[in-house]
Amino acid sequence: MGRYPGRALSRHTGRAVRRGTAGWLAFQLLAAPAQAEDPGEFESPIDIHGFVSQGAIKTSDNDYLGESERGSLEFTEVGLNFTKSFGPDLRVGFQLFARDIGPLGNYQPQFDWYYLDYRFADWFGVRAGRTKLPFGLYNENSDIDAARVPVLLPQSLYPLRNREVLLAQTGAELYGRLPLGALGALEYRLYGGTIFLDTSNASPQLSSFTVPYIVGGRLMWQPIDGLSFGGSVQKLRFDFDYTPTAAQIDAYTEQGVLPPDFDGRIWAQIPAWLWIGSIEYLVGEWQFAVEYGRSHYEARTSLLTPTIHSKNEGYYAMASYRVRPWFSPGVYYSVLRSDFENRTGISEFQHDVAISARFDINPHWLVKLEAHAMHGTAGLDPALNDVADAKGLNDLEPNWAVFVAKTTAYF
Amino acid sequence: MPSSADARSRRSRRVLLAELGVTALGMLVCSRVSGETPADFLVVVHPDHPSESAARGFLADAFLKRTTRWPGGEAIKPVDLRADSRVRKAFSARVLNRSVAAVRSYWQQRIFSGRGVPPPELDSDEAVVRYVISHPGAVGYVSGGAKLERARVLGVT
Repeated sequence: MGRYPGRALSRHTGRAVRRGTAGWLAFQLLAAPAQAEDPGEFESPIDIHGFVSQGAIKTSDNDYLGESERGSLEFTEVGLNFTKSFGPDLRVGFQLFARDIGPLGNYQPQFDWYYLDYRFADWFGVRAGRTKLPFGLYNENSDIDAARVPVLLPQSLYPLRNREVLLAQTGAELYGRLPLGALGALEYRLYGGTIFLDTSNASPQLSSFTVPYIVGGRLMWQPIDGLSFGGSVQKLRFDFDYTPTAAQIDAYTEQGVLPPDFDGRIWAQIPAWLWIGSIEYLVGEWQFAVEYGRSHYEARTSLLTPTIHSKNEGYYAMASYRVRPWFSPGVYYSVLRSDFENRTGISEFQHDVAISARFDINPHWLVKLEAHAMHGTAGLDPALNDVADAKGLNDLEPNWAVFVAKTTAYF
Repeated sequence: MPSSADARSRRSRRVLLAELGVTALGMLVCSRVSGETPADFLVVVHPDHPSESAARGFLADAFLKRTTRWPGGEAIKPVDLRADSRVRKAFSARVLNRSVAAVRSYWQQRIFSGRGVPPPELDSDEAVVRYVISHPGAVGYVSGGAKLERARVLGVT
């Protein structure tokens, strides 16, 4: 859901890697005495986990997450994480992550998450660092192929294109779980901070791009084993400046929208707020999930134009069943409606019916096959499809299919 | 008039049927007994653990690390058997209300989103017992016939 600006994070990654190197040294210094004090016959001093995924994607028409119409193998993800506990309440950890999905990622490693986590009690803990955003049921797990049946989560609410923006924030998070007796338990997550965006690969016209704040939370009520009802909200703002070209300045002048104090740059602010309602039920070998979400954006600029409002809507229903420990089929129906108050035609919606099959070859290796029947072109990348903007998506093929195969090894 | 060979044959058939009946009855009794007793697994804790029993939901939260302390305040140190263990399969189904595969999926989500790591997995009942008796606050499960040494059995309510 939603259309966030954002590009590869190479400059930020460089900073993050430098920060991370220092973090790693500190981590080692901290870890060494702890190992010496409590070698623990059965306990690993540092938990290390990782995964490697390789996928292939082919579409009958239109380019989706890469140059998929001709078939694309640009569907790679690699992650490696380290976690260390200092007693029962304090934990630190980080995950390195790299991916290449069409034009996204280009194998540039980044610190996916890193944190210091102190749990004062089961009902109250604090996590500081770069933490995954608890938004909906699966936002935090969108990279974790081993944790679900489908290859692609419903893109109406978990778009891969928005991963750089939607997945994690740098700041702090409060969390806890409150037992409610016969009413089950309530789990809360509250967070606030910022998102570092790299603009090095963006248009040279763009001179700055920041997220001054992001705040949000998620509340999950679990009345009985396996059943969860949840609500997530998120509010953030994107600020950026850009230098218009001479042709753009001429056009603004002609339209009479150039501000009188124009100094060569135009500023823009895009406040946004998003929410999702969620239901999940895990019973026996079944997994059911239903979610509905909306996002609202405004675009204010120094141009003498009215504020632009944009609303997006997404929802899906999903089910999967573990027939055998090695075989789990799944299905979902997902609907995305992009900027539905302004757009018309096939670029306003995307209906997606997906069937998936997961084969667990052994406890550390899986293979997935998936097919999607698509109707509508909302959510497609105009640049990938050689059209100027979202309106151009109306000229693409409205009915198309996606085929995905993916294998993941993990430990 | 039936011959003595026919009579022997009928007797041997009756004996065979009787033996089959006894065997079937025995199987039925055995299966009911094994269904009624928690012989598939025993939950074991450190010898100094103060409680005689714990609620199933509490143990489920402890093994999923949603609850991290015993009611007395001591940190809970859960320990699992290997994922392919028959005892773990029974414990997972009855206490966690999930299959081992579902529990593995739960931990994959937490491991790779930075929200926690699973309990250590040990290879045998003996290793679990050794872990439990050497770690105050530890809780594990072993097969019904395991040698418990000083580990205490915790009832599940």
